[in-house]
Formats: sequence, structure tokens, C-alpha cells
Amino acid sequence: MSYITGPEVVSYACTCGLIKPLPKLYFCRHCSQIRCSFCVCSEVDSIFCGKCSENIPSAEATMKKNRCANCLICPSCQQELSTRIASKGPANPTDAKSPIKKTYYLSCYFCRWNSRDVGIPDQPSATGGWPQRDNVHSHRLQDVVDSYKQIMLSQKHKKEHDKKKKIGKFVSYTDRTGVTASALRKKIGIPDTPHALLKKPKMPEPAVASNDVDELPEHLITTPLNLMDITTVEQRLLQPESQPLTVDKLFPVRKQLSIKKSLRCRCCERNVSKPEFNPSSVKFKIQLFAYFHIPEVRIVSLSPLVEGVPSELILKFTNPTQHQTTITLLNLDLAEQENYVKELTVSEVAECLEHSLSLQSKQPGSLTSISVGSGSQPSSLLSLTPRQPSITVKPRKIEQHVNCDVEMPEGAFVLPPRDDAAEYDESSDVHNVEHDPKHVVWRKSNKAFIKLLVVPNANLQANQDVVCGFSMEHIYTNILVATMENKQPQKSHHRVRIFFNLGKITRE
Amino acid sequence: MSKNSIKIFPGAIVCEEAKLRGDITVGSGTIIHPCATIVAEAGPIIIGEQCLIEEQAKIVHRLPLDQQNKENTPVLIIGSHNVFEVGCTVEALKIGNNNVFEAKCFVGNKVTVTNGCTFGTGCVVTDEQILKENVSIFGAKCHMRESLDKPAPQTLQMETLVKLLPNYHHIRKPNCKH
Repeated sequence: MSYITGPEVVSYACTCGLIKPLPKLYFCRHCSQIRCSFCVCSEVDSIFCGKCSENIPSAEATMKKNRCANCLICPSCQQELSTRIASKGPANPTDAKSPIKKTYYLSCYFCRWNSRDVGIPDQPSATGGWPQRDNVHSHRLQDVVDSYKQIMLSQKHKKEHDKKKKIGKFVSYTDRTGVTASALRKKIGIPDTPHALLKKPKMPEPAVASNDVDELPEHLITTPLNLMDITTVEQRLLQPESQPLTVDKLFPVRKQLSIKKSLRCRCCERNVSKPEFNPSSVKFKIQLFAYFHIPEVRIVSLSPLVEGVPSELILKFTNPTQHQTTITLLNLDLAEQENYVKELTVSEVAECLEHSLSLQSKQPGSLTSISVGSGSQPSSLLSLTPRQPSITVKPRKIEQHVNCDVEMPEGAFVLPPRDDAAEYDESSDVHNVEHDPKHVVWRKSNKAFIKLLVVPNANLQANQDVVCGFSMEHIYTNILVATMENKQPQKSHHRVRIFFNLGKITRE
Repeated sequence: MSKNSIKIFPGAIVCEEAKLRGDITVGSGTIIHPCATIVAEAGPIIIGEQCLIEEQAKIVHRLPLDQQNKENTPVLIIGSHNVFEVGCTVEALKIGNNNVFEAKCFVGNKVTVTNGCTFGTGCVVTDEQILKENVSIFGAKCHMRESLDKPAPQTLQMETLVKLLPNYHHIRKPNCKH
């Protein structure tokens, strides 16, 4: 499938103004808008190990540094390692009945690395107990982590402290004037004694750069280099704490955990994609991909492009939904989108201002106005920041240069609903759509070929890609409202801008 | 191409559907699946003992262009315990013992394979070289690494095949004595 939809020949403009091929887009049924990966919220749904397919709670995952406790990967080729049995004669050679002693070692089926290569002793149990290598810098790392934890704690305390101050019933005189206790102290000349909890956390000892470097070992120059002994960059970066230089220091690495993520529309905060919880399942609970809702357009054929001369472009439209739709092709009109974006930003700014003004007027007394005047930081900031939905996406201008005109056909055409059984039906074409417009070349079940005329601009360079585009308006049937409120399915006109990369022009 | 002369030692299992051309000697215990192709174009091929040649594998004895038209005809000697997996193409000059040619790999006719080498799935090796012992080539970029010991022999698989293949295929009769 990806060889058809993968190359970015036909791309759709997302509501946010980015341009992407159809399989990379989502469609929020609640907002009836296209969303792309940049205008949805990604959330980690579950954390699991890709090898043992086990779900791991996020707290446990953090504790284990996002690595699986049981699975190891090959340090040489980053594939998963498997445990192999090596039998070592009976434990007691004189007694014939004594059981055969089994030992286990790790081996990679891909590059044939095994744990014996680097001298890891075989283990008596299959489940592991593989020796862990200590990090040389673990103390230093612990120091740094501890100090950051302290900073976090003190900031938290500070916040709570500030909150308490604000909630306080009695407004102190210093707060009103914006002159704080510490400022007063400074003015008088008494050293500032900070609150016990607000003490500056102790920072770890800074690292010291050293000038002493070992001399260049002579064997580097005298002995020929054996590339098979030296690790590659990938192998070194896989073990950042030790960064082995030679292959005999490669030790198995714990497998990194994977996540399943769910995507949320940022406007209505509803899911557009949610995977099933089970790690071994690749299905989705919610999958609102645009591919299932927006008519798909593909290029069927194109006569050679010559600048300034009309050439014939045949497109195939496919209706992926269970409802009949009517498609109208309209001019691209990028200026309209630009204006829309501008208007939106202007209206947003206005809204913000209004919002903040109303907030200010609602505040009891004239506290804020005083604080704004005196320039005291905390309270004035609070009143000025508008309370908005957590994250909003501002649509951008569509940045796509179009250098080819499309002659828009007049009139709309109808695409019948998708019928999976139609493919096997010999006597197809039951949907006899009447009054087919002239530009429909061919149709079958939910597909139709449409003929368009494209005229590349006259001043095109030979190595320039010819790009054309149009707006497609289709009727979108929203069954969501119908199922929720027991009404008729709601039909609405949905418009999307589509761009075509037609390739380079032909020179005679 | 002269007449085919195929010598099979007792204990070898050579399916009749295998395509054998030229002067080929098959050692005892070797298994050649149906639809394996062995072409002795430039000179005879001698296959050692306990080799496993799977279906669609191709072993071609073809000299590089600059070595052709010489007086003495070279012999391609393939050692023992080699495994040629499904769809591999091997044109190597010389093959030692305990090598594994994984599925769909390609070994060109300038390569000399010693002992215990592994050619990974889909790896293409064509440059003129003599491979060290116990080298394994793997991955899309044909990374090389040297391991301590040779790959494990496929004895279990071979034992099963010795029992199974005669039940479902016509086997060429051995025509040589020890």
C-alpha cells in the first residue's frame, strides 16, 4: 500500500495549514475537521516490552529506566538475544543416573554474537541473573540527580508558600504596596534571611576539566589496524556509560521499552486514535483516520506537460464511506485561507484582551490596579495571562507554491457509497447515476475517473516541479450525532485543499 | 557442455529433481533438496560430507573473466558440514568446512571462503578477498565480525531430513564405493 500512498504525489492540507498525504491525516468526527500529527495531543497509553509482550506500569518503567528486566539485546547488532542451552555432562560422572547439568548462554541468531565471546560465564538458570555491569560514573550521576530533586522540592515548597501567602485572610500592608519584606530589609541594610524551606539547594561539585591526557599509544602507529576488533559508532552509543572501543568489551544491553500512544484532538479533547491495551494486539479501539472519511484522490494518467499548453489529467476519486457523497471541485483560493488565518489571529488577540479585561473588572477591590501600577510581579502577571484551553493550535498559512492552473469543471458529481461486496458482483453498476457530467470518464461502484485540464505556467524552469491544486467540497455524513441523539444522520459540506505534484515539464 | 557425470557416495541423499550439470561428486551424508541447482561449468565440483543444500540454492562453478582460458581446469572443492540455505547463490572459488550460507545471500566468484564463516540473509559479497575463519557477515550493510567458534552444525535437522526425504521424493542411487 505504501508504494501507492507513500510518495508525496497527492497531498491534502490539514486544518492547521500543514500539507501531508492522506494516510498521515486524522479526521475528528466531533469537530468534522482534518487533524495531522502536529495538531493532535500525543499521550502515552501503555508501556510494554516488544519482545516479551508484557505491560509494565509507568512507575515501574521509570524505576527500571524504561528498560525491560528480562529481555536483552545484542550489543553487536541491536537485535534481541535468545537464551540457548548448553549441556555439560552429568553433574556426577561416576553415577550414571545423575541428571545432565544444563547451563544457559545468550546468543544472537542474527550476527552470531554470544555471551561466551566476551567471557560472560554460563548461567545455571534460563531466566537470567546475568551479571550487571556497574556504571563507573554512577556516584556522580546520583549526586546530580539528588541535587535536581532538591531543586524540585524547594520549588514546590516555594509555590506552596506563595499560595499560602495569597490565601491569607489579612492582606498585609507590604503586599498592597508591592514592597515585600525582603525588599524592606535590603533598603534598611539588614542581610536578607531567606525562609528555611526556601534555602538554595546544594549544587554538586562542578566537573573539572583536566589537561592531563595519556600519551598516544605506540601500537596505534606500529601495528596494523584490525577493523573487526573495533566497535562501530552505533555499538558505542548503545552503551553510553562505557562506550567500549573494542568488541571484547561489548556486553548485553537491556531492551528499551516501547509505548503505545493515543492521540487526542486539541480542540475537543476527544481521541482520534486509541490503540488496544493488549501489547500483542495491533488493532485500535478508536481509529479516526482521514483515509476512512475523506474521498481519496489518485492520479491515473497525465499527458506530457508543456509550459503554457493545456494537458489532460485524469484523477480517480474514491468514496471510502458508507454514505453517498457529492463532490464539487472549486478553485484553490489560497488568499482566502490566508485571510482566514489573519482574521482568526486578530479575533483571538481581541478575545484575549476582552478576557483579561473582564477578569480585571471582576477582581474585588482595586487591588490589581494598584499592583499593576506599582509593577509588582506576581499578581500583575496572574491577571494579564488569559485563561485559554490548555493547548490551542493556531492555523498557519498554507505554504505551498502552485505553478499550474487547473480548469475547473462545472457541476458536481456523485460518488455512491462503498460496497465491499461490489467487487465480487458480476452484474455491477447497479447505481446508475443519472445526468453524469461530461468530465466523468469512467465509473464503477464507489470510484470515478474525472478528466481535468491543467495548464503549467508559461515561465517554468525545466528542473522545477509542476504543482497544481484545487479545493474539493464533499458532503460528509456524520453518523455520530445520529447515534447519540437518535436523529437523522447529519450532512455537512466539508472542504479540503488538495495539491498534486505532477513532475517536471517535458522539453521538446 | 560435456555429458553430465555425477558421482554419489553411499549415504548421500540427492533428490532426482535437483538440477545437476557437469562433473559433480557428492560426498556421503550430504543432502541435496529438490530444485537445488549445481552447475559445474568451468570444471568439476567436489562436495564433501554432511553438507545440506536446500531448495532454490544455487552453486555455480564459474571462473572470473580474467582467469578463463587457462590450460588446467580448476576444481571447486566444497568441504564438509556446509549449509546452503534456501535461495542462496554461491559462486565462490573455494569453500572450506562448517560454513553457513543463509537465505538469499550472494557470494561472488572472487571470494575464497575458509572455515566456519556465516553469510547473513541477503548479504551480497563480491569483492576479491580471502575470508578469515569464523567470520560472520550480517545486516543490510554487510557488517563483519569475528566469533570465537564455528556455527553449530545442523545435525538434528539433517537426521530428520535423511528419514523424511526418501518418503516423498525419488532419490538418485549412489554409484560409487568408498
